[in-house]
Amino acid sequence: MISHRDNNTQRIAALDERAEALKLKRGMGIADARAMHPMIDVVEADPEADRRLLEGLADWCDRYTPLVAIDAEDGLFLDVTGCTHLFGGERAMQDEILTRFFQQGFDVRAGLASTPGAAWAAARFHGNRIVAGGEEEALLSPLPLSALRIAPETRASLESVGLRTAGAVMAAPRAPLARRFGATLLLRLDQALGRLDEAVSPRLPVAPLSVERHLAEPVMLTDDIERLVSRLAIALKTDLERRGEGARTLALLLFRVDGAVSRIAVGTSRPMREPRLIQRLFHERLAALEQNIDAGFGFDLVRLSVLSAAAFDLVQGDLTGETDDDDADIALFADRVRARLGEAAVLKPVVVESHLPERAVKSVPFAEAPQRRAPAAGRAAPPRTAPPMTIYPPERPVRLFRSPEPIEVPATEIPEGPPMNFRWRRALYRVARAEGPERIAAEWWRQLPGEEEAPTRDYYRIEDSEGRRYWLYRHGLYSSAAQAAPPRWYMHGVFA
Amino acid sequence: MLPEVNVMAMSAVARETVFALRRQIAKIEGTLPERLQAPAPGAPLDAARLDMTLVRRGLAVASADAFLRTGIEGLDTALGGGLPRAALSEIHGLETRDAGAVAGFALSLVSLILKEKQGLPMLWVGTSEIFHEAGLPYARGLHALFGIEPEQLLFSEAPKLLDALWIAEEAARMTAFAAVILEIRGSPRLLDLTATRRLHARAQNAGRPLLLLRQAGEADPTAAPVRLIVSAASSASRETVAGPLAGSIGRPAFKVDIGKSRTALPGQFTLEWNPNEHAFAERTENPVAVVPASQRGADPAPAPGAVLAFPAIGSPASISPTIGDQPSRQQHPAHRSPRRAG
Repeated sequence: MISHRDNNTQRIAALDERAEALKLKRGMGIADARAMHPMIDVVEADPEADRRLLEGLADWCDRYTPLVAIDAEDGLFLDVTGCTHLFGGERAMQDEILTRFFQQGFDVRAGLASTPGAAWAAARFHGNRIVAGGEEEALLSPLPLSALRIAPETRASLESVGLRTAGAVMAAPRAPLARRFGATLLLRLDQALGRLDEAVSPRLPVAPLSVERHLAEPVMLTDDIERLVSRLAIALKTDLERRGEGARTLALLLFRVDGAVSRIAVGTSRPMREPRLIQRLFHERLAALEQNIDAGFGFDLVRLSVLSAAAFDLVQGDLTGETDDDDADIALFADRVRARLGEAAVLKPVVVESHLPERAVKSVPFAEAPQRRAPAAGRAAPPRTAPPMTIYPPERPVRLFRSPEPIEVPATEIPEGPPMNFRWRRALYRVARAEGPERIAAEWWRQLPGEEEAPTRDYYRIEDSEGRRYWLYRHGLYSSAAQAAPPRWYMHGVFA
Repeated sequence: MLPEVNVMAMSAVARETVFALRRQIAKIEGTLPERLQAPAPGAPLDAARLDMTLVRRGLAVASADAFLRTGIEGLDTALGGGLPRAALSEIHGLETRDAGAVAGFALSLVSLILKEKQGLPMLWVGTSEIFHEAGLPYARGLHALFGIEPEQLLFSEAPKLLDALWIAEEAARMTAFAAVILEIRGSPRLLDLTATRRLHARAQNAGRPLLLLRQAGEADPTAAPVRLIVSAASSASRETVAGPLAGSIGRPAFKVDIGKSRTALPGQFTLEWNPNEHAFAERTENPVAVVPASQRGADPAPAPGAVLAFPAIGSPASISPTIGDQPSRQQHPAHRSPRRAG
């Protein structure tokens, strides 16, 4: 028995058959139930876990159709249009689903109909019924109002005027119903009867292409999975070729015998359709995930889907059969590193127009960075749209700290001048020479209105007594007011 | 060790075979090719002599483009022609705070390579630790100083050393990168002789340099044929029309020690990088003292009394006017400092 807290009272949220046999009901107070039957076993409800379980089941249902939607907290919609023949017809498919769920330890009711509304009602009020097209009205008429998926308040007010079954509502004139009970009632009714289309919004985007293989004998070893991936990728290649596309995102779905589903996705920097390369990407991904994939008793269905695709440019190879395409090599390298170590494993700097050093270069993942144009042989390089260069470009360090590190500056020679020595990471540095300041103000156009203006930074190039060169800045100015705190100093980068 | 072979006595075909075998052996042994010094300009040029390769240790036939010439005569000669192109080379910094100089020196080498292979990208792999300690590569600075365009630079931050090694190994076998820099901190046990040998072998096969930067690293056994120890040197003043500008900080300068090399004795060089021409220049005279007078604590107390000229018999050095210019211990000539193990 499962309890939940409602208005400061523990009430029964759900209960099993044996508890029902004891005449306990949903909504009853736990204290009352305990008084009646002290031996009952009460568990606190965990909606999060329920949700996770339902999502796991929805994942598993992916093997029947890509269109799986979660319905409220205890139902799943499967849009099996065009899928039933793969499993030997509607009846056989429903039986298989129910048997499989039963084997996993779930007691499931299913209904199959040509509209989601009718299927919902069939599953909840009939159990395992298949409703042929056109029979929806006959199905719904004798059912109570809750079969119409309407709000409890609407249902209560309908019952208060004597409309107690769906059939009674159908027989009533529509205009007064709409006026009194709102459009939702008629919408639900029409949807259930097939007069209006209702779309089941799937949980996951439907892959434009996918290939799968049912296995008579479950596989467990990573090597076997990789081999299957390359087989599936070969099948996928012809489809991609027909569409003139290459895959940008690929997902591998591994359906475990006991219902768990592993979803492994890899992204590519440029459209790809070569099975060998696809297999290599998954090789890295599987190597990285080795500990996280629990094969259990093995996988009995492996599916490879293309989640997103892009136009694929054919490149003609030379006579040796090798295209000397360095960019493609690098893209593949970046993809493999990304597959193993995550999205931000290979970064590319992108120059941004900004005065602030840390904003002037943005690091973006390789796949999102603008692709480098290969310089065409024998032709002059395209004119660069570089910003106008000043004659003396400002000196910039070769390494920049992720965030400026505070340093202690005991004294400066003149109030707004460079430090004489400073302490950084607990070591004292004696300044031998200094250049500067280069004053960089905050960017007022990025300030929010009403926000106080950030202090300016005075950057100094410093060479210490050992010859190392640093980039320091003073945040703010020394003010004349005695109470004002002196400005802080920061280490921002190192020069070569 | 193979005995010295008199190539002249062989037929042309046999000579070809011997050369091919030598190359194979050199590849297997992973040795740097060693060559005879070029004959003196005045010496009579003997065609057969040019073909002859003397064996000192290991054996190989070097082609001229197997080395990246730094442009500094002394350093190139000491390294037997320059830095090997298709190899792992270690560049050490003694302390993490030298990271700027070490990275700068490595990037200047990359810049030299990019002069020939224009447009190729480079990859900089580092562990999270070192990027956090020493800072991330800053594309604007790299462009200004070394001419490396931002779109030519790829960098990769690996959370663990094992991942960084994997990335570097994968990158080292590709020919699409002009150079790969792998940067780590300290002397982790993971980066042992086997690991460096793997990296070296991949770099050799791909024919691309792999620069291993070790900040605050010790001289561990390594398969890299060359280990350089780089630290910062005081820069010269900026040159203006009116002469050097006092108190200004000019071009980057590095002190380079040869820590390990099969051909060279340990030695020290002070190089200056010219960001306009993308070339090294050797620092001949120091506009400012490379080593401050008070390097080891306080200045030595002056000897009491007046110093008189006292010509000693048989020891002209003692009256040398350069007595104050004696190099410090660190600046001793190559052959007098202990050789680093490796």
